Amino acid sequence: MANPFSDAKILYTLPWNSDVVFAVAFIGNDKVAAANRRGDILIWNLPATGDKTPDPAQRLIGHTGPVNRLLVSPGGKTLISASNDRTVKFWDALKSEGNPGTIVMNDGYVRAGVSVAKLPDPPPPITVKVVEQKPIREFTGHKEWIWGLALSRDGKTLVSGDEAKQVILSDAQTGAEQRRWKVKHWVRALDISPDGKLVVTAEQFPFIRDGDTDVGLHGWDAQTGEMKFDATKQFEASKVLNVGPTSFRFSDNGKYLAFCLGHIDRDGPAGKVFLLNPTTGEKVRELTPSHVRGATDLAFHPDGKHLFTCGRDRVVKAWQLSDGAQVHEISLAIGDKKKQGPFTPTLHAISISPDGKLLAVADSSGQVVVCTLEDRKK
Amino acid sequence: MNSNIPTGTCNSGHHLSRRSLMKGLLTTGGVVVANWGALTHSQTIAAEAKRSGKRCIMLYMAGGVSQIDTFDMKPGRPTAGEFRPVQTKVTGIQVCEYLPNIAKHVDKLGIVRSMRTRTPDHGPGGHYMHTGYHPGERFPHPEVGAMIAKYCENPESDLPSFVKIGSGSGVYGAGYLGPQFEPFVVSEDGKVPGFVNPSVSAEIQDRRGDLLNFMEQRFTEQRKGEPFAAHHTAELRTLRLMRARQVFNVTAEWEKAKDRYGDNKFGRGCFTALKLIEAGVSFVEVAHGNYDTHNDNFPWNKANFALMDPAWGSLMDDLTQRGLLQDTLVVWTSEFGRTPAINVRAGRDHFGRAWTVVLAGGGIKGGQHYGSTDRDGFEVAENPVNEADYCATLYKAMGINPRAKHYLGSRPIWATEEGAKPIQELLG
Repeated sequence: MANPFSDAKILYTLPWNSDVVFAVAFIGNDKVAAANRRGDILIWNLPATGDKTPDPAQRLIGHTGPVNRLLVSPGGKTLISASNDRTVKFWDALKSEGNPGTIVMNDGYVRAGVSVAKLPDPPPPITVKVVEQKPIREFTGHKEWIWGLALSRDGKTLVSGDEAKQVILSDAQTGAEQRRWKVKHWVRALDISPDGKLVVTAEQFPFIRDGDTDVGLHGWDAQTGEMKFDATKQFEASKVLNVGPTSFRFSDNGKYLAFCLGHIDRDGPAGKVFLLNPTTGEKVRELTPSHVRGATDLAFHPDGKHLFTCGRDRVVKAWQLSDGAQVHEISLAIGDKKKQGPFTPTLHAISISPDGKLLAVADSSGQVVVCTLEDRKK
Repeated sequence: MNSNIPTGTCNSGHHLSRRSLMKGLLTTGGVVVANWGALTHSQTIAAEAKRSGKRCIMLYMAGGVSQIDTFDMKPGRPTAGEFRPVQTKVTGIQVCEYLPNIAKHVDKLGIVRSMRTRTPDHGPGGHYMHTGYHPGERFPHPEVGAMIAKYCENPESDLPSFVKIGSGSGVYGAGYLGPQFEPFVVSEDGKVPGFVNPSVSAEIQDRRGDLLNFMEQRFTEQRKGEPFAAHHTAELRTLRLMRARQVFNVTAEWEKAKDRYGDNKFGRGCFTALKLIEAGVSFVEVAHGNYDTHNDNFPWNKANFALMDPAWGSLMDDLTQRGLLQDTLVVWTSEFGRTPAINVRAGRDHFGRAWTVVLAGGGIKGGQHYGSTDRDGFEVAENPVNEADYCATLYKAMGINPRAKHYLGSRPIWATEEGAKPIQELLG
């Protein structure tokens, strides 16, 4: 089996021990943005050579709650963020000037154990000089936490979804709301098809005690909000959806639709990844072996042939779309790979650079990990 | 007159009320003349309950509920987390934005923000908070529900005096108070176990009872003793429960209530608790959720609160509107709290050093908080309350002497340990 990623390796680990790093997105091929549960967004400029770990260059200030999703417009001009503060904010991704500021990179609380008598003194602060920027505009049409965020491939239509079960289409340039409709459960993830005609939503209400989680996987007509398919039923018998979907994406060529599961941490191979028919929502295949404990995010490679996923098992997997085979695995295990458990920090999100050469991971252990997917010396 | 029970079989003051037994089980012409009227007529039920005095509903948040995300919020601090506080109608009391229904009743709540408990493990923590004693104690201490059942039970009722809806909070038992105060555990949605449903008609059951009585009378004439009496009492209690089981069936009324309480097991459990209290049950415990949020504390708790808040709020509404709240102590509690610090999995871990319980209703002066924590919530700043103080407060509110003395054999044993102090500031 051909493995085009056999030379993949970690290029940088960018430490950020302030709060849980939850979202990540490439801006072009040489900058990466990451966001945390405190609502901060940082941008790093990535050197062409991987000799020295860079410090963040910019801090984007404005969110007052955790940032759940980041994405970048086609061409890399605009960074867009969705937050629990009920706003979607737009940032000038190319701008490098702003007010000077200083950030502390290690002011996160250390884990306070069950028998702690006194918190340890904080470590000496590690400070970094940055340029601070504010959003260029924001969308305020949501009244609840926003977990669903997608942009049409032409960059004109923004789709966002929240925990009030609202899906909203808006003009990405003006912010004008175009239409909205209500789905069945809290929106956890969504996307819009490359032709702009179909919106897919992954929904979940984590009714955790009974194990009978309310989950939905639906396709909607983007023009009318009418449901086009319900992909939920085909999974009901197996109950695999109970751990909750975390990501739902079309490939850029429109040939594939994928989702992964892992919102709730479960023992065993709960982090399943599926390919669906992008028109009907019918299951095409399951990609195996599954992530252990949960899969948290997925990203299609720009080559149109591969899918990447990450999970609670601290593994990044590369899958070949033509036959579903796993072709590569990058382990970010802490200690023994087999002992990653429920208290192990999670890989929350991944992003692949537009040229397909770099992959970035948001790691809740307090860092952003950037990997090269090719041998840079070749 | 034929009777399917022999007179004089209840030979212990701890056991069933003789009067109640006679009332519940007398038969005539093979037909049971049971205590049906009081169990099926709601106005009679309400009147009966009012006469019987104090009752208690415990809402137990299984797994350890976060104080900072509910009633001891720390806005602006690094430990604040992802929820926003909202100001209530009581100055100085803010609650989580996702508790709007209970926030409306804040003037009835006594919020204890200074719980400082001794174990952050689920099993021992649950035992401590249910009994006031360490699980390693030599004596089998009863849980609060059993103690309240002993002192507050309605002797006229055919219903159990201590009901647990769901076993998610653990079953710690009646201990030295004896098996008659063991909890009657029903499913999470309040439905009774199958054994309560008789497999034969009342007529056949009576004929079987007559036969059994005949044989047992012969047997017991030669073998006097407690074990036989206990066996017989258990049998009688089961028979009485079979006849009273309809009280647990709230299906018809639930149709009207479910939109308010929330159409889920905890919502139905709270509604069933209301009906049981109204029917004269002394203590009902309803367990909810999985608050053990080591991972993803905020989305999980948001979902928990979405179920907990309307159920608890509606329970308070109905207790108030039916005039039951003044005699019904409502307790919102858990085995411990959760860490102020948010861990690398966006979760909060076990924490007993400074956390919160809430009391309301019967005997509690509402609209106030007791005790406080430091600015980030790591330590109790004033008025620490331990497990024994907490249990003593519940007992005092219920009219029970917290230092009531009992005997295990010849050894004296007390309802709460020496030094336990009820929170006088909360007691009306």
